[in-house]
Amino acid sequence: MSAASLLLAATILLPLAMAAGCLSQRFRARAPALLVLAPLPAMLAALLLPDGASASFPVPFRMTLALDRPGAILLGGAALLWSAAGAYTASYMGGKPGTQGFAIWWLLTLAGSLGVFIVADFASFYLLFTLASLSAYGLVAHEQTAGAKRAGVVYMVLALLAEAFLLLALVMLATGSPDSNPLIRETAATLPASPLRDGIVLLVILAFALKMGLVPLHVWLPLAHPAAPMPASAVLSGVLVKAGVIGLIRFLPYETALPAWGFGLAVAGVLTAWYGAAVGIAQRRPKTILAYSTVSQMGLVAAIAGAGLAAGDAGTPGLAAYYGLHHTLVKGALFLAVGIALASGGLRLRVVLLLTGLLALSLAGLPLTSGALAKLAVKPMLGYGLLSLAVSLAAAGSTMLMLHFIAVLARETVQNPDAAAPKGQVIPFLAVLIASFVLPWWLYPSLTGAALASVWEFASFWKLVWPLLLGAAVFVLFRRFNGIAGAIPEGDILVLAERQAPRLSHLAAAIERLDRSLRQWPVAGLLLIGLAILLGGRFLLTS
Amino acid sequence: MTPATYSATPGGFLLVLAVMLPAAAMLTMLVSRPRHARTIALATMVFGLAVAFWIGAELMRSGTALIYLVGNWQPPLGIALRADGLSLMMLAVTALVITGTGLFAHRLFGLDATTCDGRVATSFWMLLMGLWSGLNLVFVSQDLFNLYVALELLTFAAVPLVCLDGRGETVAAALRYLMFALLGSLLYLLGAGLLYGTYGTLDIRLIASASEHGPAVHLALALMIPGLLAKAALFPFHLWLPPAHAGAPAAASTVLSALVVKAPIFLILRLVLDIAPPEAAAFAGQALAVLGAGSILFCSVMALRQARLKLMIAYSTVAQIGYLFIVFPLAAGGDGVPPWGTIAWTGGALQLTSHALAKAAMFMAAGIVAEAIGHDRIRDLGGFGRVLPLSAATFGLAGLSLMGIPPSGGFIAKCLLLTAAVIEDHYWLAFTILAGGLLAGAYVFRVMNRALATPAVPLVLRQPIPLGLELIPLALAVMAVALGFLPLEPFGLLQIGRPDAIPVVAP
Amino acid sequence: MSALALTSASLFGLCGAALVGIGLFCILTHPELLRRLVGFNILGAGIFLVFGAVARRGAALGFGGDPVPQAMVITGIVVAFAATALAAALLRRLFDLTGRASLETGQAELRPRSEP
Repeated sequence: MSAASLLLAATILLPLAMAAGCLSQRFRARAPALLVLAPLPAMLAALLLPDGASASFPVPFRMTLALDRPGAILLGGAALLWSAAGAYTASYMGGKPGTQGFAIWWLLTLAGSLGVFIVADFASFYLLFTLASLSAYGLVAHEQTAGAKRAGVVYMVLALLAEAFLLLALVMLATGSPDSNPLIRETAATLPASPLRDGIVLLVILAFALKMGLVPLHVWLPLAHPAAPMPASAVLSGVLVKAGVIGLIRFLPYETALPAWGFGLAVAGVLTAWYGAAVGIAQRRPKTILAYSTVSQMGLVAAIAGAGLAAGDAGTPGLAAYYGLHHTLVKGALFLAVGIALASGGLRLRVVLLLTGLLALSLAGLPLTSGALAKLAVKPMLGYGLLSLAVSLAAAGSTMLMLHFIAVLARETVQNPDAAAPKGQVIPFLAVLIASFVLPWWLYPSLTGAALASVWEFASFWKLVWPLLLGAAVFVLFRRFNGIAGAIPEGDILVLAERQAPRLSHLAAAIERLDRSLRQWPVAGLLLIGLAILLGGRFLLTS
Repeated sequence: MTPATYSATPGGFLLVLAVMLPAAAMLTMLVSRPRHARTIALATMVFGLAVAFWIGAELMRSGTALIYLVGNWQPPLGIALRADGLSLMMLAVTALVITGTGLFAHRLFGLDATTCDGRVATSFWMLLMGLWSGLNLVFVSQDLFNLYVALELLTFAAVPLVCLDGRGETVAAALRYLMFALLGSLLYLLGAGLLYGTYGTLDIRLIASASEHGPAVHLALALMIPGLLAKAALFPFHLWLPPAHAGAPAAASTVLSALVVKAPIFLILRLVLDIAPPEAAAFAGQALAVLGAGSILFCSVMALRQARLKLMIAYSTVAQIGYLFIVFPLAAGGDGVPPWGTIAWTGGALQLTSHALAKAAMFMAAGIVAEAIGHDRIRDLGGFGRVLPLSAATFGLAGLSLMGIPPSGGFIAKCLLLTAAVIEDHYWLAFTILAGGLLAGAYVFRVMNRALATPAVPLVLRQPIPLGLELIPLALAVMAVALGFLPLEPFGLLQIGRPDAIPVVAP
Repeated sequence: MSALALTSASLFGLCGAALVGIGLFCILTHPELLRRLVGFNILGAGIFLVFGAVARRGAALGFGGDPVPQAMVITGIVVAFAATALAAALLRRLFDLTGRASLETGQAELRPRSEP
């Protein structure tokens, strides 16, 4: 087995082995401190392995791992954030009860969420996707508050629903292949010719939209992200939603145009981007606002994927992944920043707020930040028509949302000038922050094919700045949205759906009543005789 | 067509051994002292497992079914015993689950030194052996009347197991079970009589090879299939199962849920696939699939609504049995592919095996929880994962298999069934499978959520649970999950000895 | 119309069918377990008569009486006897423990009583 396959395998196996090691009491006590090491193989794999490195493991494991460009981009960013958030966890959670259990869920989620970026076959993709989805429940519900419990239940319901959609989609896709466990890339390429095409594309989009949080399937995000402990929110928002992004990248055929589906996905994405920003400005908790911002940003990724699918642009996966990387690092750093800002005071607080502000506006495309690069990179693909305008408006929305976020965060901070966040939290935050500013610059030329100099042109500069100015103007005009803060409950339409819950329990109660009467002796006996008569009559008629 | 004849194969005596070994153990227990019952049972389990493995080895070596002719008499006068790949699978799962249950019961009874060799324990060992003998007889018999006797033996061993603790409610549950099972077996017997009147034989293979099928065979099937359904507790004939399985002692509900309900299903499979004329088989398959789908959806919702853990698991059994019935239209074969060559057939067999292992593990874990905490009300079980981490893990692993989450046996089974449903264009079955998985996820999650919760008042164990007791269900649950590493293709073993099948080399 | 000719085999068969019907009716309608048990025995007797008819039909074809159904009837009677004994023992136990001789009252007790 070559070093490349070992490294790929270790990406998944090291965290799993650490989770298994937690069976031992001694290892479990040290696990939180070791979380920082778990994503190291993934980081090395993303950095060192060439495009196209692959490894397959024979029956009974039947797992094929492969690293391609989009996978490596997402894998590297995710591994970095996992590592930093792991270090942050050791400091943030250290000593609290239940941290050891938290570490186990952490490691399992980590293994799954990094694994989905490198698996190449159906069964393993479903396995790792499920592992990430279900284990993340332990992170969401960790705090055991009423809010966390509700978030956990909603998360679990939607996660299982996504599993079901995905399973059906995979099975329908696999029926077209002679192999019982086909490779994703080959099978996705045959999708346009499949007789079940429309059903499969719909199910794929539904499954991954649930994970990414496209409206109206986004309701778990604004509940789950604020309920989880700070580092868990960072990875939930930064990495876990990317399981949906990699799904869209892997399973949709970008070599062949599917205009109708691409258009639909792009519209859903743009609507999500607007909706996330619009609902987010009516929130009053910093983490909830960030969660809505994630909804909005994932909408943009969906719009990119949709535009690529509509045009049949084979470069889409790389660009979507690039946008995903930017969001992983920035959103992860923002969540970590919330914890640090809340624990800092005085001059330190002002520095933290300044850095946080830069990060936040990066999401809106502040020039020279990773957000600006990401937006410039996707611009050619989005074209210069309505879609481009819609995306720019979404950036204006992001600006409003992020200014609102900074305002809310600044209001919530402590006024103690001597307060300082522990070093164990500040260093990981700074690491992600620096990575978010450096990595995208490094990748930009090879992905877009354009020289870095193009970033400096005035035309591109203006394209980025007008949405920012528009957003800021609206923010100032509406007096910082003070009037509508808290107007929409967290989880927005979920609250409407929950009002229908009594109907569901009526249905269940009716089923219970029916069960009681079916279990009466005469009823069951008559049904039995009835079935005999039915079968007999039908058999005799057809014979 | 010349009537098929049997020729005994070298390893045939093993089938007799598989049936007679537990029966002999039961008889020995009757004449020996109560305290020896446990020793005899445990020794029989070792031999029983060995016999199951030996049969497996013989089957794989020869690649054809094992046959034994009782007293060397050819059917129609004599009785043939025959084990093909499917029988072997059932024999092996039975031996495995019975051994697991035996070890579990041994430890569980050992918790209390005063009752460890008491009346309840001794009766349990005898009934367990009787049950095993009956099960093995069902899986190897070729004669419909012999099968009737085997099914009755099974019922007579299972009913007292239900009311082993002698409480009023469990006696009522046992009576309900007995009565409904009797109704079923009498319908079956009437059908068998009609078949004999038509063919002059009750041998499944001889009947199957008959060239003409009159109306009597249709009537007979119309009586026998519902009769067996009553014993299999498929919705809407599940009236007896929840109280019986939930009321029985933990070790007993394990075998009842994991194995006993599978015996009539095995027989229905043989009736529909081997005896029924094609049109009748097609309609029966459709009807069974409708009932199976009803079972999955209806009883999963009922499981979700139960307040008690064991009742929830019992309803989940009815729901999971439904998956075995939706196999019928999916495994219809066609285009030269026999039913046992389809992926649905493999999926059904895997579902049967993985459910047996997972459900056994789950009932044992529930038994441990009830034993340690003193009740099994789900609402009041908050935080049991903190005091009984291994049992909670067992429940979770077994739950993975029931929900069909990879990498478990249940996942492969449901994946194969789902694929078959999509290929055969039975989308309503595909949606049923998915909805059933969601509902199973919901009821497993409901318990796991309680297991991981932090209660205001920490749970206190009524008595310490030894590690060895918790490890047995964990081992079974791990096996259920490990089944997920089997290949995703039709499984060669299951085709051994099926009619028409070319002798297949073992996988 | 030879099929309808009242041979002894047909008579046995018809009687058997009638007994099966009576037995089923008895089983389905009577909530008292003892009556239901009697119903099972009637049903069983009907089935054995059908077996007898089957054996006679074999004889009518010149085989001189088919011994296999007779063997089956004997076995069946033993099984039915065992089932009856088990059910009676359980029934007695139920009556001793709860004072009930029917399963359905349990269902009735669950319903809210409207009148005092």
